[in-house]
Amino acid sequence: MSLNAVALTPIIPIVFAFALPMLSIVFKGNRKVVEGYALVGTGLTLLTSVLLFLKVYSSSAPLVYSFGGWRAPVGIIYEVDRLGALMAIVTTFLMFLITIYSYRYIEEGLEWYYTLYLGLEAGLLGVFLTGDAFNLFVMIEVTSIAAYALVMFYRNRWRALSAGLRYAFIGAVGTTIYFIALAIIYYAFGTLNMANMSALLHGMTFQVVGSPYASLVKASAVALALAVWAFLIKAAIVPNHFWLPDAHPAAPTPVSAVLSGLVVNAGVYAVMRFIFTIYRGTVPGVIHALSVVLMVVGAASALLGAVLMVVQRDVKRLIAYSTIMHMGYIVMAIGVGSQLALEAAIFHTVNHAIAKALLFLSVGIFIRMAGSRDIARLAGLGRKAPAAMVPLAVSALSLVGIPPFNVFFSKLLLFDALSQRSYVLALVLVVSSVIALTSYMRVLYEVWLGEGGEMREGGRKAGASMTAVCVFLAIVCVALGIAAPYVVAHYIHPAASQAVNYTAYVKAALSGVLKA
Amino acid sequence: MLEDFLWGISVVGLAVTLVISLYGIAVKPNLIKKLIALTILGDTANLIFIIIGYRLIYPVKPPILPVWKRSYVGTFAAHAVDPLPQALVLTAVVIGMAVNVLIAFAIIQLYRLHGSVDVRDLRQLPELPELTGGDEE
Repeated sequence: MSLNAVALTPIIPIVFAFALPMLSIVFKGNRKVVEGYALVGTGLTLLTSVLLFLKVYSSSAPLVYSFGGWRAPVGIIYEVDRLGALMAIVTTFLMFLITIYSYRYIEEGLEWYYTLYLGLEAGLLGVFLTGDAFNLFVMIEVTSIAAYALVMFYRNRWRALSAGLRYAFIGAVGTTIYFIALAIIYYAFGTLNMANMSALLHGMTFQVVGSPYASLVKASAVALALAVWAFLIKAAIVPNHFWLPDAHPAAPTPVSAVLSGLVVNAGVYAVMRFIFTIYRGTVPGVIHALSVVLMVVGAASALLGAVLMVVQRDVKRLIAYSTIMHMGYIVMAIGVGSQLALEAAIFHTVNHAIAKALLFLSVGIFIRMAGSRDIARLAGLGRKAPAAMVPLAVSALSLVGIPPFNVFFSKLLLFDALSQRSYVLALVLVVSSVIALTSYMRVLYEVWLGEGGEMREGGRKAGASMTAVCVFLAIVCVALGIAAPYVVAHYIHPAASQAVNYTAYVKAALSGVLKA
Repeated sequence: MLEDFLWGISVVGLAVTLVISLYGIAVKPNLIKKLIALTILGDTANLIFIIIGYRLIYPVKPPILPVWKRSYVGTFAAHAVDPLPQALVLTAVVIGMAVNVLIAFAIIQLYRLHGSVDVRDLRQLPELPELTGGDEE
């Protein structure tokens, strides 16, 4: 059962995605059938990922599944440690809830929407579970293609197409750059298996693949520079951030929640995996240079995102800039490189995913009521729909870092980790949070107390399912905040300590071929 | 001598093509030309992978086992070219096709709606009418 959970988790959504168009022909696009089908697909995936999560947290070593029975380093393997399982369960949990929300929000083409949506889920899960650098490339492409198409979901609006095209061009360049990095890695290491790469870097010997073919330091310098550049494009870190503020608002709101909450995580997760598991403690000069770059671009993203939030009129664009800011925090923490910083980064990724998804979903209810994304047109609508106002306030205050909510505790951890390295970084965290607070206050003030409160012609009230999802996620935000010390001790700390334990990672994958 | 020259030419050629394609994607205003540059970038990356996979450390023969016997495997492994880069490039070609088709469709649709494939026509800031058009319809 354990190994099945590893294999099934990404396979269920891809099978459901490919079968959906045919099924919807049989049922003539019946919305109820399509929605039920999508709920079953995401629900089953949630179930297997919960099983996977429990299994990984109760076993001391990472779980390995070899596709087709070809063992590493020859075949492609999926290797799941606690970090991967944690990311996977956050993904499946949010995707399941957003499926409930989407039913009332997406009014046309529900079957195509869910085809792409399930494909996106499969790609994301593949990114988090894989143990092979080339399979990571494939899974990033699967995620990206689904994401480009979902950004262009409103295909009769040229602005959505334009934003999606910009995203597709920069994304395609990024993945091609990662492909070139893979060529260099393959040239030097003679392998693309992550555990095998780590073993070669740490000087462990093997029976199947011998010694590396070229200087690992030089090859790693070039390959890491290219690969991290590609991942930072996916994570929208500053020099490569420009696609995100167009692409995320252009998508339907549930998709914005998925893109801002989950898809950007694929980029930071890949950077974490490379720096903390594969390269932990090796090629010190390269890693040091890289960590300085990461800290600088992370700080730049945090400040730029915060400042540009202030001037936005489009509420979804404002939230998109906030995503850039939070990704900046996580990348800064990865740059610091200590285990505490990794813990902070993981916890912040989880908290940001939940709070940001909630913020998009609750603001989506008001956008639907007003028929507009302009903050001025949302004025006063909060009084009409208090059940959606509370989740909006919870998520906005949580993202700023107000104490009882979840993001406060990850920001606290981030502050600890950053100030151990440099007070400048900690100061960036505080200053950008304060600037972001003013923007969120502006949104909350307008929506709750603003003049107006008229529903526009053609505006629609939220369905009960949409509000219920928002309220539930708000409760999760509060619960994660209150239980934060427990969560950090029992889930985040083990994930971080297993992610930096490269010996266990290598041994789990290569136990048969490693020389004692 | 001639072999070195040819190798040098092809490596320099690849580097130049890579730069040209990135230039095309970044600078050309026409989306079709950007797409063409993107396909050139993808092909160059594939060719780089093939060249890098073609190690010059052993004599190269096609990776075909001549006789199905265990004793041949040793010589086969010592003489055959590494087939993995080709397999990886095949995968990348298929993925690249999917991305290119999606982008091509989006450009056609954009042309139908907007009457232009020039990015300079797409650059104006979102105006209020469009914003109030809202998230729906």
